Amino acid sequence: MHIPDGFLDLPIAAMFAVLTAGAVGVALKRLNGELPNERIPLLGVVAAGIFAAQLLNWPIPGGTSAHFVGGSLAGILLGPWLGVLAMVAVVTIQALVFGDGGLLVLGANLWNMAVVNVLVGYAVFRLLEHRVPVGRVFLAGWAGVTAAAVFVGLQTGLSSAFAYQLEVTLLVMGGGHAILGILEGGITHLVYRFIREARPDVIGGRRIGRAGGVEE
Amino acid sequence: MTASADSKVGADGRRWPKLGLATVLLLVTSSPAFAWAAERVGYTEPLEVAAERTGAETTGWYAGAFPDYTVPLGTIPGGGDILLSGLIGVGLTLVVTVSIGHLLREHK
Repeated sequence: MHIPDGFLDLPIAAMFAVLTAGAVGVALKRLNGELPNERIPLLGVVAAGIFAAQLLNWPIPGGTSAHFVGGSLAGILLGPWLGVLAMVAVVTIQALVFGDGGLLVLGANLWNMAVVNVLVGYAVFRLLEHRVPVGRVFLAGWAGVTAAAVFVGLQTGLSSAFAYQLEVTLLVMGGGHAILGILEGGITHLVYRFIREARPDVIGGRRIGRAGGVEE
Repeated sequence: MTASADSKVGADGRRWPKLGLATVLLLVTSSPAFAWAAERVGYTEPLEVAAERTGAETTGWYAGAFPDYTVPLGTIPGGGDILLSGLIGVGLTLVVTVSIGHLLREHK
């Protein structure tokens, strides 16, 4: 999912850097002066957990592997805009410190994993709240990562490095992640269920009150 | 919510970040085993498959301080590279996100 340098044409990389800057600007504007102190540890733990979970390459017999991306989980647990910022921190550290994802294409990687994955996952989670109350977290995890992969397919397929073979990149990225997304949806569901049972008050959209209680 | 319930949730509230961090450390310590297992099946992500089919190549001009989750000290046996990289990454992520949180915290 992390695009390295050289895979995208500069105009495409630049366009997604601008889009990402806009989304991060909206997130900062919405949250500035609004984040309750009680949610700061949650932000740190969720982001660190997603960084750690992305280290785990799940072996899939047949010669492929996948790692959890976590954008949908971040959106569900933290809310959409804080989720975006958490994923921005994770993906930027991965690129700057570990060379995981290129620097020139950082804007595109952030767009895919920190914006699209988070917002699509959160939107599915909220839209299915009453229609599919049981499976909505799984679907949110699946849809978020698949949407992000489709964007990777678009960005690479419209670039010269991939010989503009959009049909190949869309099929491999969108189709591949639609299958691998089952793992993403399953992990998202399990983590959400565990946290909902243990600490329902830390789920995004709710707020921990001054005394530690839940405010809707 | 009653006062006693409030205090119970409050106590949990102080404890859960430690439990969360313990879970995160558990994930990091299991990363060498996952890396080994992924290596055994041949680690290939869909993006690598697409690149192979279309002939795309990376330019790779920047590798980072810990390229691909290795450490500059040389190979550490038993998956120690990814373990150490994971601990550094988790620590950095915590510092950065908690700092962002403090910058955005509500004005009282």
